[in-house]
Amino acid sequence: MQTTLCVPLEVKPESCSRLSALIDELRLQEDSGKFAYDVNFGRVIRDIPTLHFMSVSVFMSADYDPLFVFEANMDGPPGVFWGQIEAAFGEKIREMLRCCKQPLDDDARLYLAVTAPGSVAPVAPYMEARTQWPSAFHHGNRGMSRDRILTEAALFGELRRELDDPAKHSTDIYRGLPPPQVHRQLREALLPGFAWLAADSPPRISSTERTRDFIRLMLFVVVLLLVLSLPGVAVAALLPARTYFLLILVLAAVIGFLIYLARKALPGTEMPTKFNLLGFLAERAVLIACFVAIAVILTTALMWPLVMFGSMLLSLLEGRVWSTEGLGFWHMAGITLRGLLSLIVILPLVVLWLRYLEKRDSSQADPPLDPVILHDMARQEDWVAQNHMGSIVLIKPGVLRTILLRAGHLGLGLLLRVTATNGYLGSMRTVHFAHWAFLNNGSRLLFLSNFDQSWGSYLDDFIEKANVGTTLAWGAGVGFPPTRFLIYDGSSNGRMFKNWALASRAVSRFWFSAYPGLTVNQIERNNRIADGLRKPSMTEEEARTWMMDL
Amino acid sequence: MDDGSVNRPSPADSNNWKLQPAIAAQTQGLVVSGFGSLPKGRALLLNIGTVDPAVEPRGAWLQTLEQIAPVTSAQPTGGSATQAVALAFTWTGLQVMGLAETGLASFLAPFREGMMQEDRLRRLGDRRKGEWQQTVIKGGPLWSANVPQTASMGPEVGAYDVTRFFSETAFGGGEIVHAVLLLYAPDEGAAAALAAMVAAALLPHQVTVVRQLDLNLEVEKSGVSNEHFGFADGLSQPAPFDAGKAVVLNGQPVTERDPIQGVPLGDILLGYDNGHHEVPPGPVVPGDDGHTINRPVAAGLLPHPKAMGFFDFGLNGSYLVVRELKQDVAAFWQSMDENAAAIATRDPDHSGHITADWLAERVIGRNRNGQLLCPAGPMPLDPAGQPDSNYLFRDTDPHGFGCSLGSHVRRANPRDTLAPTPDQGPTLLHSANNHRILRRGRKYGPRIADPRVDDNVDRGLLFMCLNTDIARQFEFVQTTWLLNSSFGTLFEEVDPLVGPDGPMTIPEDPLRRTIHVKTFVQMVGGDYFFLPSLPALRYLALL
Repeated sequence: MQTTLCVPLEVKPESCSRLSALIDELRLQEDSGKFAYDVNFGRVIRDIPTLHFMSVSVFMSADYDPLFVFEANMDGPPGVFWGQIEAAFGEKIREMLRCCKQPLDDDARLYLAVTAPGSVAPVAPYMEARTQWPSAFHHGNRGMSRDRILTEAALFGELRRELDDPAKHSTDIYRGLPPPQVHRQLREALLPGFAWLAADSPPRISSTERTRDFIRLMLFVVVLLLVLSLPGVAVAALLPARTYFLLILVLAAVIGFLIYLARKALPGTEMPTKFNLLGFLAERAVLIACFVAIAVILTTALMWPLVMFGSMLLSLLEGRVWSTEGLGFWHMAGITLRGLLSLIVILPLVVLWLRYLEKRDSSQADPPLDPVILHDMARQEDWVAQNHMGSIVLIKPGVLRTILLRAGHLGLGLLLRVTATNGYLGSMRTVHFAHWAFLNNGSRLLFLSNFDQSWGSYLDDFIEKANVGTTLAWGAGVGFPPTRFLIYDGSSNGRMFKNWALASRAVSRFWFSAYPGLTVNQIERNNRIADGLRKPSMTEEEARTWMMDL
Repeated sequence: MDDGSVNRPSPADSNNWKLQPAIAAQTQGLVVSGFGSLPKGRALLLNIGTVDPAVEPRGAWLQTLEQIAPVTSAQPTGGSATQAVALAFTWTGLQVMGLAETGLASFLAPFREGMMQEDRLRRLGDRRKGEWQQTVIKGGPLWSANVPQTASMGPEVGAYDVTRFFSETAFGGGEIVHAVLLLYAPDEGAAAALAAMVAAALLPHQVTVVRQLDLNLEVEKSGVSNEHFGFADGLSQPAPFDAGKAVVLNGQPVTERDPIQGVPLGDILLGYDNGHHEVPPGPVVPGDDGHTINRPVAAGLLPHPKAMGFFDFGLNGSYLVVRELKQDVAAFWQSMDENAAAIATRDPDHSGHITADWLAERVIGRNRNGQLLCPAGPMPLDPAGQPDSNYLFRDTDPHGFGCSLGSHVRRANPRDTLAPTPDQGPTLLHSANNHRILRRGRKYGPRIADPRVDDNVDRGLLFMCLNTDIARQFEFVQTTWLLNSSFGTLFEEVDPLVGPDGPMTIPEDPLRRTIHVKTFVQMVGGDYFFLPSLPALRYLALL
């Protein structure tokens, strides 16, 4: 299991420039190779063997004091990692912490112990105490440990030499052989150097983990249904069934009509899209229906004990004897199901409310960009196949937005765990990780990511391929381009979205990848090749498909 | 190298699009035409010397040019033109011309910073950590706009600032180019005479020709022009459309996107809806309050729709990317010979089909006639007898058994090839078309006598392309497609034609082959230019 975390710390404004210089110094110390594929960051790779990605940056803002953000993705739980960080960078981090503010809560004692002049107290406990967990995250090569990624990449290199290097074979011994024989011979040739090929491929995601992911998502949906249908259940309990149905249908029709009236984009903000929400849902209708059916059954089953408990509590408060009269399971199940039907009113009501807010939102057409910061960012970019970005945006205020964003992130995170397991985030396969977290008491949203190719092409993917998801995830940001129904328009306003995202970024002063030359695609390809080589034999069909990857 | 521009027009060809007459009258002809009927030409790279504005207005040389060789408009000539002229400026060129500071600041960042900005050179594959790469001629470029490199660094020092040192190596070598003047003529004699006449007329205005290239368009019997390696060039151009009816094809407005080659006009010409569904912000010039004549009004510039008090300097203009690319023809064919021989030695039994020509075709992605390589052989010519460019990769050749996955043609315009699943083909095609460029390049230098023997003569391609968003279009093509070492499913290899030494994968069923290509194309010089509209040129002439 890969862990993703960050440590956001407020910076003493007077020490901000010093802190940036310290981070630059750290990078210059570790990033010493001259060319892209030399071993840069060799010490980090060696001393922190669980580490996939790490970054250290300072975010400037007009609304807050500077924020220091330390971020890492690692294999396994963070305990071991912090120990390794302490050994590798303890003193450097202590210097950086001295540039940060003393926290106002109980962590102050820890801060003072760590930053006192001459202190030798370990910094890791403080970093652990200030750790902020993501609100949602995505891992590109899900379930691949760093070691596995690196060994399989080494295998790929060796396989290429075996196939192509005239020094190894003066004649092309694999050409013209039947595919199963090519596979068998390659396996024989590579086994001595890669003994692990003899063992079966370990599952990338264990069945326990998969089950847990599924249960968590189900739990989320059930709680969501419970909460959303509570008003409906209450009304359903009070009204005769026929009146209730009539009420629900009339309300649904009225709200539906109001939404229909508000469906049009604001003048000049409509972005043509091929995305069709109904079509998208229809394609997955069976799957969604099964999932919802299970959730409805669970919700119905859960509502009964809840109501029992509630009525018991009520009778206690009122000082009367509790009776279960009228609270039979089947009776309650009927009311719950009727209550759930109110979702056809509640959900559209939420949409209508949201649309009301969207029509009055302000979007920032031309956010100010600091040329010095832009220059600093460009200087750190496009050296290797991967790049890093960090961004912080303010979150739009209001009760509905807050609830939607919090619940949305929770749900999105859980959904990604269940669905995004093959490297793709939507139709994009360039994302090594994407990491969201709420900062400053939920008033700001942090986004950190490692991706393949340039920042410009990453953003173009957001605009051209993943505009729906991007609009959903970032639409709650202050100044975001005009959105419609949470998913339309938004990031399709390409230039506006790019400028907005650019203005929210910080210079990635120090960022590290354990495999900077490997793309998400290549890691998956290496994995397919390795898994194929683990098999003792293949059919003609299997071997032919497998050979396409060589 | 699929970089040229100009084919003999055929009726069915979408290259025949025009602009609506009122717009055409305001726009340079280069936007709608590569001047295929004028096969010879000259590219004059100009340096504009400083003159005392009290003695002579800075725009005087443009008024002289207007009299002897006026810049050609986009209005149709009916094929009777005997010469054509196009003119574009670098950022330093506009600075020397005396464009207002606000105007200079209103251009796109890539144009303001120039092609030789350190981080841009890295992204374009030209220079890393202070060293010119193999794909640049030895010693570095011979010319550029020489845009000041520290322009974007703020000199202000704040309280508590810690001094940090950056090693920004400003590029200062080579000739400083302020403008490119493109001259087209029916034959070599006329081209030479026109160039000589123009050069002589501009010299008294302190405008000097610092570099001159003879432009060629040798149209073969087949109707296409070949580049120096011997392959048909200039095929497959974007087909613009505009909902506002600015684009005309065969007398009819083109308001809908062509399913394969369609791009919004705004990606080629400023002032129209672009790939981001908006009219992008373009350059402006301030109004002339208090002057005897209001120059923007006199020149015919329109008030800017959003910036009150400013005039639209960008409308009907575009950005012209120029890179002089030297081609080493002998190295190319020798490298193909060596690879073919190496394959024959290592694999004599299954390599009967592999010749230098076979490999070269895979490097390009088309055969010499310009027909796309498909698994079953070259794609048939279209009804007009021309190479068909309206193909998609996912249908014709998903695995690259015909047109190799890393071939120049596939990398330069991947169409739908990057779609992970067939149903995502349309999305990816649409996404790829958001990065198209309109190529207007021409080859320079004489045809080589024996392509396998180096004759030490300079020849190559003057790569030129029009686009309105340099970062999203030209730079994206160069960085994310051509020089991407992980393009599609490939790994640690870049474009075999325009990239440095390195491997190239040639998919074959069931086992791919790998060849090692050398560096065949080197950048001699280049920069970003602004191709003004005719009113904008008139404004510059009034400065």
